[in-house]
Amino acid sequence: MTRCIQCTRCVRFASEVAGVQDLGMLGRGSGEEIGTYVEKLMTSELSGNVIDICPVGALTSKPFAFKARNWELKGTETIDVTDAVGSNIRIDSRGLEVMRIIPRLNEDINEEWISDKTRFCYDGLKRQRLNDPMIRGPDGRFKSVSWRDALAIVAEVALQVKPEEIVGVAGRLSDAESMIALKDFLNRMGSNNVWCEGNGVRPNADLRSGYLLNSSISGLEKADVFLLVGTQPRIEAPMVNARIHKTVRANHAEVGYIGPPTDFNYNCKNLGTGPQTLLEIAEGRHPFCSALLAAKNPAIIVGAGLFERKDKDSILSVVNSIAKLGNVVRPDWNGLNFLLLHAAQAASLDLGLVPESDNSIESAKFLYLMGADDVELDELPSDAFVVYQGHHGDRSVYRANVILPASAFSEKEGTYENTEGCSQQTLPAVPTVGDARDDWKIIRALSEVAGVCLPYDNLSGIRSRISVVAPNLLRVDEREPALIHTDLKPDCQQKLSTEPFSSAVDNFYMTDSITRASKIMAQCSASLLSKK
Amino acid sequence: MAKLLKTAIQAIREKGIAGIVKELKEGEFVRCLPDGNLLQTKIHNIGARVVGVDKFGNKYYENLDAQFGRHRWVEYGDKRRYNASQVPAEWHGWLHYMTDHTGDELLMLKPQRYGVEHKQNFSGEGDEYIYHSKGHALNPGQRDWTRYQVWQPTKT
Repeated sequence: MTRCIQCTRCVRFASEVAGVQDLGMLGRGSGEEIGTYVEKLMTSELSGNVIDICPVGALTSKPFAFKARNWELKGTETIDVTDAVGSNIRIDSRGLEVMRIIPRLNEDINEEWISDKTRFCYDGLKRQRLNDPMIRGPDGRFKSVSWRDALAIVAEVALQVKPEEIVGVAGRLSDAESMIALKDFLNRMGSNNVWCEGNGVRPNADLRSGYLLNSSISGLEKADVFLLVGTQPRIEAPMVNARIHKTVRANHAEVGYIGPPTDFNYNCKNLGTGPQTLLEIAEGRHPFCSALLAAKNPAIIVGAGLFERKDKDSILSVVNSIAKLGNVVRPDWNGLNFLLLHAAQAASLDLGLVPESDNSIESAKFLYLMGADDVELDELPSDAFVVYQGHHGDRSVYRANVILPASAFSEKEGTYENTEGCSQQTLPAVPTVGDARDDWKIIRALSEVAGVCLPYDNLSGIRSRISVVAPNLLRVDEREPALIHTDLKPDCQQKLSTEPFSSAVDNFYMTDSITRASKIMAQCSASLLSKK
Repeated sequence: MAKLLKTAIQAIREKGIAGIVKELKEGEFVRCLPDGNLLQTKIHNIGARVVGVDKFGNKYYENLDAQFGRHRWVEYGDKRRYNASQVPAEWHGWLHYMTDHTGDELLMLKPQRYGVEHKQNFSGEGDEYIYHSKGHALNPGQRDWTRYQVWQPTKT
């Protein structure tokens, strides 16, 4: 027996917000039923929201249903880190366990929805966890050791190598506190080779308008023409995509897309696949130019996947010339947007995590990975000493010499800045796992063992340090727009390659160490991505 | 006394000396010698009728010539640690004169689907015998309260 009362709220959500026509009414009269059409799944990345919408509980969360009662749960209002949007969520926990994740209302960021990745990734927090400091012995096997021994060994090696051979990489899920601690620590060791993965070589960290979603997520609703350059918002940032979908539905905004073939849940013109099309638009030869010129509030969204390209500077200068052509950046409207991929990216650029040399990995002798699992380690010298500090045994641990267990986003207090420049804080919902510690505390302890003690002992101390570097990170829940919009950069003379844009995210459901450890996410990608 | 001797001579005549020795060995007679309770039961057994043996090896005797109310008894199968809770439910009624049906007859009435195997009471027998709840440290199947799975390092 089903509890469904045929209110059709889920059907309306699917067609109006998620933009998929998968749910509907089957049968008529007393035989009326809600269902997906024959042999179809609800192939939306927002499908979990129908659980919250359902007024009677006929649609339930499969991983959560009947696992716990509402009154057993402790709710913690925090922030999601699986993408750069920073959706507001509530983590419901029972004892030591995260039981479910549900959205919180924030009209400026995620409205009242969250993506399926955010909602269902929490079982990844319980699997593949690192809970003890470990050292790789001479036989290649990891052995659990005490914190004292692990830190002593790391400090000893760090002091032996030359300062410029020390390299630090912050991971996708790092919070601002730990990133500033990492940067301060490496700077005191004499190295400035520290960056956050996903930002590419020589990222533009000088002008905030060069990496933020300048028109803000809610501001996208005012746009009437969108040009998506090398970004697939549906898989990179579903909440931003929902915003674009809303705008397209509301005022029939036109959307043009340049990039590899992908699915859209609204009308979208595929203009081309590579920089060639961009050039055509910049020179006014492309039919899309007329739409861009006629638009009142045109919005260009550039994907952060382009930051990894070699010809990134020239692409950005072409985009700048399109912006000039379409009068995209005006005092009353800034439509030149950059859509970031990871939760740590905006804060890392605000804090100035920019590597000194381009090929620091190739010459590294001491590599400090702070949760960085997507760094290309093939070019790392085989005698390099790798420290992996993180919460999951994912990819980089296999190359590590020392493993330092850290806490995940659900277990610590940290500041994250989302793609539109709004800084938000997470709160610990559950205690840390095993012997793990907060990221910044580990680095603070390590700095003391290495003899370059960092001058902060608590969270307020480290935040006052952040206030010196990037005070906007401390103004929580407030969007800090970029102040200077003008294009100060000189025109780049770099050659534009003809190589088409590639997709930045190949599997929506598995983008970081938490989601890669999640069983539910694995099932989702097995059943949903193969259907497409 | 005379009767006792008569029975003994009759037994030797029936089974021979070797048979008697074998029987004494099987009945763990030597172990019964220092234990008054067991020895008394052994002596009592002479001339009594064995009514049945349960699956724990307990032997049930009846001697209608004995004083009424003391004419049924049990010789425990376990000669080391024996106590009354070792008598299974089906024999309990017979042993306590509640019924004249022997345990073997009553065993047929035992429900097949949900009848629980008889278990003796291990109270006071030491930690390895007594029941410990699922959260108790001495329960070998103690519940695992860790709510996360640890990454297992494998050699790469």
